[in-house]
Amino acid sequence: MIEARTDIIERVTGFCRLLRARGIRVTPAESIDAVRALSLVDLGDRLDLHFALRTLLTTRRDELSLFDALFAEWWDAPGLKDAKPKASDAARAARRESRPSSAAQENNAGSPALTRWAKAGEAVDDEAFAVVASPSTTASRARKDFAAFENTDLAELQRLTSMLARRLNARRSRRWKPASGGSGARADLRRTLRLSLKTGGDPLELARRERKLRRTKLVALCDVSGSMDLYSRFLLQFLYALQHSFARVETFAFSTRLVRITEALARDTYRTALDTLAQSETGWSGGTKIGGSIAEFVATWPRLVDRRTVVIILSDGWDTGEPEVLGEALRAIHRRAGRVVWLNPLLGSTSYQPLTRGMQAALSHVDVFAAAHNLASLEALGRHLAL
Amino acid sequence: MREEIARLRDAMEREAYVTDRATATAAYLAMTLQKPLLIEGHPGVGKTEVAKVLASALDVELIRLQCYEGLDVTTALYEWNYAKQLLHIKLQEGSAASAREREAEIFSREFLLERPLLRAITRADASPVLLVDEVDRSDEEFEAFLLEVLSDHQVTIPEIGTVRATHPPHVVLTSNRTRELSEALRRRCLYLWIDYPSFEKEVRIVRAKTPDVAEQLAGEVVRFIQRVRGRRLAKTPGVAESLDWAQALVALGADALGDDLVDETLGCVLKDEGDIRNVRGAIAERGLGAYIADGAP
Repeated sequence: MIEARTDIIERVTGFCRLLRARGIRVTPAESIDAVRALSLVDLGDRLDLHFALRTLLTTRRDELSLFDALFAEWWDAPGLKDAKPKASDAARAARRESRPSSAAQENNAGSPALTRWAKAGEAVDDEAFAVVASPSTTASRARKDFAAFENTDLAELQRLTSMLARRLNARRSRRWKPASGGSGARADLRRTLRLSLKTGGDPLELARRERKLRRTKLVALCDVSGSMDLYSRFLLQFLYALQHSFARVETFAFSTRLVRITEALARDTYRTALDTLAQSETGWSGGTKIGGSIAEFVATWPRLVDRRTVVIILSDGWDTGEPEVLGEALRAIHRRAGRVVWLNPLLGSTSYQPLTRGMQAALSHVDVFAAAHNLASLEALGRHLAL
Repeated sequence: MREEIARLRDAMEREAYVTDRATATAAYLAMTLQKPLLIEGHPGVGKTEVAKVLASALDVELIRLQCYEGLDVTTALYEWNYAKQLLHIKLQEGSAASAREREAEIFSREFLLERPLLRAITRADASPVLLVDEVDRSDEEFEAFLLEVLSDHQVTIPEIGTVRATHPPHVVLTSNRTRELSEALRRRCLYLWIDYPSFEKEVRIVRAKTPDVAEQLAGEVVRFIQRVRGRRLAKTPGVAESLDWAQALVALGADALGDDLVDETLGCVLKDEGDIRNVRGAIAERGLGAYIADGAP
């Protein structure tokens, strides 16, 4: 009898190991619960065991079908004690690992594009960036495609991002905090009553409370590969401006790999920011591995994204990697983020259809798919950024 | 099937809740292991119903906390009864009590308004069922706070001290997955996913909840709804819609579906103008028969 029990405990812990090996996270505490549950169900009844273990060991719907398959595999094959990945899994894993060989040649750390932009920037002094622009959002300028954008419009871009940042900051939460009075503050009965004790129960001093400010964070992932050359320069300017008008923004650039450029962008002037970027090995104007880069982001910066975070991806969706990798990575981000916004400069052209395989894989995990080819489209972005 | 699970299932079935084994097992384990049960599923599949039925099957109180964004401690846990406190201070005006004594007096249990979470852990007679409904609509701060209450079954009120549950509540959380819940909360809970029921099960549900429905009508209603669920809709009808519709049709004295009847009552099933147009178009194209006849559509 004891022997039989030991055996079943081993079977269950082995099953937990199998689940872990196949990607269903099972904590030790959950394994212990699973063993505890054994005494609570009829072990002779397969369905009892199945439902009990499923309710204990899974935590989300996505895991259910895999769980059911593994349950059948494990409990139907008494001889099987170790988690052996199936051939098809191995093949899929192998596919995931492989990188096209062209990556090496595309990934030139030298950055001709950056140097070019920096040169172009010399024509205009950096002060133009800081000066508040005249309020001349003429329709023609607002519609101008970024590809035909001149550096003189930087001030306009700066004005726009400050406006976006203000909107992001101005959201009020539904939670309260004590206030010292002023507009929007309401009476705080709880504190008023407490204060009244000092004066023998007469509420002479009225305590107030007001709504907390909601803190939205931004994470921007900017594609700087060759196909984005025309746009990424301006998107980078946009990100630079954003970095300087909004405190909680993290920026990453990627082509074939991911580089955090928050600190570089936080430099005093746009020129020094570009210089710093030029020295980093970003693989500017190289090939694109959107999926791989975003997967790298998910793996390396898991704590950056929460429900208060808007994740902005700036890319044209031309991916030379596997679309599944991109879909999987975006799904992971989408699950955690407050909002996922994909800005595609190509969307500004009326004839463009998001048909690339990468874009197709991405669309179902994106909340907002919008254009980013001119100032008007960036202005419209404000709507999507507020959580 | 373990006898206790079977008994719980029968008890739930007696409350007119068609219970599958997965649900009964999950509910039984949650109660025995004293863990919260997190139920997810599409809208209208009867997630909330599990808690209600559990409470009446166990014959205990159901305490419901409806979550929404900005839900805070004063609505979820407790609030002081300010009016009563003020009145008390006035009445005590002449007394010689010191400010400290007065403070202790008005911040005692007597002046506390219990909100659902506090009520759930202060029941003296039996463990109630605590339903935390649509937990995905609350915000993250509240989720973290909830986690604290759920794991220790105790609450600390600064003025009074720690209140510990003598009868830990049976906790059921429901989520419509409008946002992802924290990993910590998920780990703390047992998990149950309720899917749309099979045809047979849904017919049983409709007939259990609408005893007057004709057998043919119940079958047609369920088949129609199940086939409509296969379409791309803004709001896919749940079991709640099947029940509403069946009840509406019974009230209209129908015993089978017809074109006019469907057209007039489609609002019970679909709650979105675009969806209604979509389904009307499909019926016009393929005929109502394609949606209610037995066999492959």
